[in-house]
Amino acid sequence: MDAIAGRKPIVVWALNISVVLLVMLWLFPTLGLFVSSFRTGDQITASGWWSAMFPAEQTLQIRAADPDDARVDLGNGVFVVEGNIFGDEPFAGEMSGWSTSSRTLGANAPGETFDLGDGETFTLNADGTYVWQGNDDQISGRAQRVFIDATTPPDFTLNNYAFVLFDEDNSEGMAKAFFNTLTVVIPATIIPILIAAFAAYALAWMDFPGRALLIAAVVGLLVVPLQLALIPLLSLHNAIGIGKGYLGVWLAHTGFGLPLAIYLLRNYMVGLPRDIIENAKVDGATDFQIFTKIILPLSFPALASFAIFQFLWTWNDLLVALVFLIDASGQTTVMTKQIVELLGTRGGDWEILATSAFVSIAVPLAVFFAMQKYLVRGLLAGSVK
Amino acid sequence: MKMKLYASVAAVALTAGSVQADGHLAFTPGEGDFSWDSYNEWAANAPDLSGQSVTVFGPWLSPEDDIFRSAIAYFADATGATVTYTGSDGFEQQIRIDAEAGSAPNVAVFPQPGLAATMASQGLLTPLGPDTASWVADNYAAGQSWVDLGTYADASGEDQFYGFFYNVNVKSLVWYSPENFEDAGYEVPETMEDLIALSEQIIADGETPWCIGLGSGPATGWPATDWVEDIMLRTQTPETYDQWVTNEIPFNDPKVIEAVETFGMFAKNDDMVAGGSAAVGSTDFRDSPTGLFSSPPQCYMHRQASFATAFFPEDVVAGEDADFFYFPSFAEKDLGNPVLGGGTLMAITDASDATMEFMEFLKLPIAHEVMMAQTGFLTPHTGVNLDTYKDDILRGQGEILLNATTFRFDASDLMPGAVGAGTFWTGMVDYVGGAEAEDVTTAIQNSWDALK
Repeated sequence: MDAIAGRKPIVVWALNISVVLLVMLWLFPTLGLFVSSFRTGDQITASGWWSAMFPAEQTLQIRAADPDDARVDLGNGVFVVEGNIFGDEPFAGEMSGWSTSSRTLGANAPGETFDLGDGETFTLNADGTYVWQGNDDQISGRAQRVFIDATTPPDFTLNNYAFVLFDEDNSEGMAKAFFNTLTVVIPATIIPILIAAFAAYALAWMDFPGRALLIAAVVGLLVVPLQLALIPLLSLHNAIGIGKGYLGVWLAHTGFGLPLAIYLLRNYMVGLPRDIIENAKVDGATDFQIFTKIILPLSFPALASFAIFQFLWTWNDLLVALVFLIDASGQTTVMTKQIVELLGTRGGDWEILATSAFVSIAVPLAVFFAMQKYLVRGLLAGSVK
Repeated sequence: MKMKLYASVAAVALTAGSVQADGHLAFTPGEGDFSWDSYNEWAANAPDLSGQSVTVFGPWLSPEDDIFRSAIAYFADATGATVTYTGSDGFEQQIRIDAEAGSAPNVAVFPQPGLAATMASQGLLTPLGPDTASWVADNYAAGQSWVDLGTYADASGEDQFYGFFYNVNVKSLVWYSPENFEDAGYEVPETMEDLIALSEQIIADGETPWCIGLGSGPATGWPATDWVEDIMLRTQTPETYDQWVTNEIPFNDPKVIEAVETFGMFAKNDDMVAGGSAAVGSTDFRDSPTGLFSSPPQCYMHRQASFATAFFPEDVVAGEDADFFYFPSFAEKDLGNPVLGGGTLMAITDASDATMEFMEFLKLPIAHEVMMAQTGFLTPHTGVNLDTYKDDILRGQGEILLNATTFRFDASDLMPGAVGAGTFWTGMVDYVGGAEAEDVTTAIQNSWDALK
């Protein structure tokens, strides 16, 4: 007894540590994605998300005001441009040095006046005010670049969310895609459950020849990759006149979801107490009555957990929707497709990807938390008799 | 509970979606430098296509998709037909699934002629006819080469004209920051010899001349194929280039190996590239041009196609902070000024009257000018007004395209997919990773032989 009691903490520790590790493994990328969704594309390219939360030492590259608009004639051929290099908003960081050439970064201290040669001078103060002075030729054309070594505080933006959710060009498409996705997902979740519940009852509690073979066939179908069926199924849909559309995608999702649904529900139902069902039979209940009055209420956890599976899978699905639903009319686009499109022609807009991921995750998360108490119960469905 | 949740989320989405885009044209007819005369003439004779629709499917996503929609709005305005464009990043796969299953769009925008050729040979495309072919020959700069690029064998093996090019890019460009060049006292090189000397000068100054990134997700390696193609055009005759594309000379021919090794001179030298040669294969091509504008600059030059401006940091203004020069040719080799390019071609996947009229519309200068004025769209159409280009940078590239003595299409897009979009890409990644040019090219040739 002592030995077991002594060993137990180690097992518990190992379990806890591995759970923590697993959670970290999942949480870390998600956290990175979350932080990235509040950064601009340039920031994502320049530094990792983990450095976004701390003040950063960096060299800013800023132009003085355009001399063609902003220069003032002081007479005697001397022109000057004055202003604040950081624009109207006060600079939140701290300047440690500056330069006007990319080759001599940080050469000048704040407040110093630098001679660019031939009488052209540039003065930059720590608060960002500057004076750029020279002759007609020097103070024209391109505005002078200034390289500023500075420590800047963390900088986050909500613009990505504003772009994905409220931008005029996007919001209409996103809203349409949202409803299209719901139109796909709700029937594609309900239809397979309905069919699978009937099938599972028959396979679990009705005696007929070949039942074991049928169950084996359903289990066998679990390993067939759905990609195999894409083109033949689409050809079939076109041949019988369904074409690309909601009906087609519902049928496809139903077909692809059924093997798992039947398997899961049948294993759960087979574990229900035999006595209840036999009692009902003795009392004269038909199979349909047993199914609706006894089996269905008892199987609710399994039904709910499969509903979550199917909902998540159809919500996140892009492949099946692309093949069976989305046609060239552009009226039947779904969320996943809309998000891929937001990525841009050459796929470089990581900040939009990160943001869209969190926008798209919202509904599945809500569904998951609403039904999660059934998920664990349902996950064990069929595993314990 | 669930339904209530849906309802509330739906309500939020509905309010967000209530802002309607207005449907008027991007540029008012009759205003600006656009070629309105030819448009008005066509519009006056255009048939009434009310109630008919044309569906276009292509690889363009944001922001090009909306700009293309603004161009096709002029077609809809003149004919009353509805035109819808849908874009997909998986265009290559999806068009095949749709066409083979019989639910193809009317018009497909092919980013690679090779894919269009494959589909033509399966009888999935509708020929545009000899009239359009001769129109392209007459109205595009270096017209015959564009006709050849759109001509494929049909299902019975006969050559037909299937696709004409719309949206072209120029690849032979080197991007740089003019002020960084000024700060260091460098001059824009006129010949390849000067370019190599400049690179060595920059190394001698303790800086890094080039930014090269080959990373591109599943397409990693393609920027290197552009390098090799550009160098092939500068070291060999265009005829040799064509033989290379069709595998009349093997991939491991000494001429090709020489081009690969010339690329290696830049990419496999730790002093030449930012981050050292080990970083070349892993740096994303979309991130690599940012090195030009960092402070201090990570590199001084970046060879990339005209679309590179899309990956410049947001505050970089093309023409002010960034400029380009033509990737020069060797002075000692008398090969003229070859230009390497790529582009998308329009082909009919499901013919209808409205679709044929739509293709007529795409021949009008206005269909090109509306795009030119809004995005990095180049065209070899000689009838367009160059003043409509969005900025001087694009106008300069458009002129390079119109004045090219030799224009050649991106070789990797013309090679069979398993090579041009497969072993050529991976081979170049292996090469910058340390493999020998001879081994890599032999492996690519073997993969090509396996297809025959």
